[in-house]
Formats: sequence, C-alpha cells, structure tokens
Amino acid sequence: MIRLECDQRFRELIDRSFVEEVSEGERRLIHDHIRDCDGCKRYLELTARTIRGLREFTFISEPDSNARVSALLAHHTGTMRQHHVQFKVWAAFAMALSMSIVGSALVYQVAKLLTVPMRFDTAQVQAGVLVFWLLPSFCSALRLLAAPGENRGTA
Amino acid sequence: MPLPGSAEAEAQRIARGLRYKDLAVINELIEWYQHRLARYLFYVTGRRENVEDLAQETWLRVLERGTQFDGRSRFEPWLFSIARNLAFDQFRKRRAISLDTQDDTESHDGIPQETAATNHPSPFLMAARSEDATRLAAAMDLLEPIYREALLLRFQEELSLQEIADVTGAPATTISSRIYRGLAALRSTFQEGGDSLGV
Repeated sequence: MIRLECDQRFRELIDRSFVEEVSEGERRLIHDHIRDCDGCKRYLELTARTIRGLREFTFISEPDSNARVSALLAHHTGTMRQHHVQFKVWAAFAMALSMSIVGSALVYQVAKLLTVPMRFDTAQVQAGVLVFWLLPSFCSALRLLAAPGENRGTA
Repeated sequence: MPLPGSAEAEAQRIARGLRYKDLAVINELIEWYQHRLARYLFYVTGRRENVEDLAQETWLRVLERGTQFDGRSRFEPWLFSIARNLAFDQFRKRRAISLDTQDDTESHDGIPQETAATNHPSPFLMAARSEDATRLAAAMDLLEPIYREALLLRFQEELSLQEIADVTGAPATTISSRIYRGLAALRSTFQEGGDSLGV
C-alpha cells in the first residue's frame, strides 16, 4: 500500500514533468527513483512514448495555400485602405463644410457691424458674404471630394 | 506571464505590423503559422474540406482585428483563439441549418465532435505516419474533444498551460487536469497492447 502511494506520487510528478515546469530537484528525484523502481520507469517510458506518438501526427497542407492566403489578404488590405482613404476624404469634407458655415456666420456678424459706417444695407452684406465667402469656401470643400478620387485605392 | 526579451520584441513587431497592416509582416505570419493553423483546424473540426476556408477567414479576422493584438503575449494563442471561435461559430450555424440531419454532435464546451458517429474518416488516422501514432489515432477519436484539444495544443503546438487557457477560455488548472486525464487515456492504449506498468 505504501509502495503504491509512493508510486502514485512519483507518477504524478512524472506527468507534471512532461506537462509543466518542474524544478531541478524534482527532476533529480524522478531520476533517482526510476533507478530502483521498474514500474515508474515503465510509466515514464510509456508517457514519453505517448507524447512522441502525439507529435508524430503529420498534417499535409494544401499546395499553394500560403500563396492563396497571401493574395487574399493583399486584396483585402487594398480594399481596407481604399475604405480608409474614402473615410478620411469624407471626414475632411465634413470638417471643411462645417468650417465654411461657421466661418461664414462669423464673417456675416462682423460685416453687419460695418453696415452703418459703410452705408451698406443688409441684403448687400448677405450677398457679399454669400459670393465672396460662403460660395468659395463651399467650392473648396467640394474640391476635397473630387481631388483624391483619382488616387483612391492606390495608397 | 511576461514574455522573455526577444519574444516580447518579436510580439511587439507583429503587433505594430498588424496595426499598420504591413503586408511584409502579414506575409511572414502566413509563412510561419498557416500550416499550424490549418493543422489545428483540421483536428478541431475533423473535416479536411473546411480547413482552408476557415483558415482564410481566420486570417481576414486577424487583419481586421489587428489592433486588438497588443504584443504583450505570443501571437499563436491569439491566432488559435480566433480560429477556434470561427470554427465553433460555423459549427453552430451549420447545426442550426440542418438540425434534422443528426450529422453533427456537440460535446462539452461546445466543441464540435464531428468525427465520431459520422462518415468522416478520422483526422488522426489520416495523419498517423508511425505505428504508435496509428495506435493513438483510434484512442484520440474516442477521447472527449476537450481532452483532445488540450493534448494537441500542449504537445503539437507547444503552447503553455496558460496559453491554452487563453485559447479555450478555461482556467489553467482545468487545462492541466484535462491533459493528465487525456494522457492517462492514451497511455492505456499502449498498456492494453501488452506494455504493462508492472504494478
């Protein structure tokens, strides 16, 4: 009974030595023990043989599978970059458009202050802001959408 | 568990490459891991015909979620966990589509168990190239998939217990007990073959 318990303890240690890290002391303990214990020695050999057998399963990949995956990912990366560029263009357009509107509103507020000293009426100020500020800035924002289109997807 | 210096530098390089979708790094990863990924998927699903599609899908997911790999651990467990999730998603979808065919069965942890009780040839028998491996193949087919997976990740893919735990989502202590039980079951294959332990 004592021998069996002792063997059980060593066999757990043998298992652990294959699966996890064991200390140098524990490794020496196993080594010393199996010199005198045929059962545990056999156990260690069978465990090693089992693990060797597991490593002997061989898998043969499909020919060209690496090349196929590489081509797929290269294509996908190109598509993702294209979407990224498009996203950046639309983000820039949205930013430019909002700056154009906010800027025009500010310019209109400043121009309104000048109506009295410059003797302009409101309609003239509105037309001025529209023609000389809002339309040019809006056209500049639109150009952001058009310009990078030629190069989309080539980044 | 922190990585040793060179491994950490390598993991960081991979993380950077994935973040910037660097094709050179991605092609290196394919070169290094595609075979292992396909092998893992083959053993997990038990179906040769699905392997390439699943592997491709895994790589696409790697590319799309590249920013989630932080480079603080090795790349393989992250790759295998993505592959595992995709394999199980596909299995669940297929099962939902054909509930009445009884083609697939599921065991603990939702791991697909398609080889036993179906007409598919055993992936292990197909992969056995030595006498010992052939003897083990039959035992592997009978083993619960959770034990089989733990054994393969430990001894074929050389992942640590913690890495296997990360892949499967089970605690490391559970993984180690699965490995010990799996080993005991496989060892009995040789014992039954006349190699007794002399106790």
